[in-house]
Amino acid sequence: MTCRKAKKAIPLLAGGDLAPRKERRFMAHIDICPSCRKELEGYRSALGRAKASAREEKPGDWSESEWKALMAHITAGRGGERTMVLGLRPRRALASGMAAVIILAVTVLFVKDTMFGPHKTSPVPGPDVVSVTMVSQETGLQVVWFFNKNFEWKGDKN
Amino acid sequence: MVLSGRNDAFEPLVTPYRQPLLALAYRLTRDFEDAKEIAQEALLRAFKHLGRYDTSRSFRNWLFQIAANAARDRARTKGREAAALAHAGRELPQSPDPSSGRRSREFRSDLDKCLSVLGPREREVFILRDIEELDIRETARVLACSSVSVRVNLSSARRKIREAIRDKYPHLEEGQ
Repeated sequence: MTCRKAKKAIPLLAGGDLAPRKERRFMAHIDICPSCRKELEGYRSALGRAKASAREEKPGDWSESEWKALMAHITAGRGGERTMVLGLRPRRALASGMAAVIILAVTVLFVKDTMFGPHKTSPVPGPDVVSVTMVSQETGLQVVWFFNKNFEWKGDKN
Repeated sequence: MVLSGRNDAFEPLVTPYRQPLLALAYRLTRDFEDAKEIAQEALLRAFKHLGRYDTSRSFRNWLFQIAANAARDRARTKGREAAALAHAGRELPQSPDPSSGRRSREFRSDLDKCLSVLGPREREVFILRDIEELDIRETARVLACSSVSVRVNLSSARRKIREAIRDKYPHLEEGQ
């Protein structure tokens, strides 16, 4: 353990925010290093002072009439999301309902299609021969290619 | 009881947290009027969203989370207003700030002096962890960030406060 490493951890160590294992490691160094010990004491003292200042401070309070008026104003409203349906929060209830409807619709479509839908017909056979014609705009020359259904070249004709 | 529709049960539920909530809002803003508005907004939001409250969690910390969010929203709004005023101020003659006397350096509290050296996030983390004494995990939850982020900001906040007390406000160190 080096002082540099220890000094990095001292702010957290001062407030007891290191894991116990780490704390033991750092404390072992601090026990033998007067400079780090002094630094830790400085942090503890600063933290203690800040906490004491917070305790001394009196931020004030609502007057009783203000508080009563505030409570009346708050509870007079409808309280938006407080109603629960079947123990579910409204947004979750809505999402669950939507999901159930979608699942039901998909199931109905699937069952209808497989059990009562029309039987599939065999696909219409394509043409046996395909021709491709190219015409040159400059010379008027025509080139025609003929392919069979496997797109194998059969021959050309001018 | 409030969840089952009894609105009158809300007041006894929040009354124990009335002062801590206002104190937190004050510590976050350092302005009592702002603090009152933030605490009021937090209570309103709490009532409205009570159905979202996770009962496995501390009610106080849940209220603190709402207050911290309300304080952040207010700071953002105030920032925009200040920018608009600053822009308008270029055309208008400057008037003296009425609060400048009240908030002058001499009259600021010791805690004010300590917090003045911190950035917004460091201030939130320091107040929640060191002043309100929430643990790291709850602080992270209240601020909707990671525990690592809390540790980093906390370490930096404590370092700054330590340095400020040592260098700028040595009388605070002596007062211990």
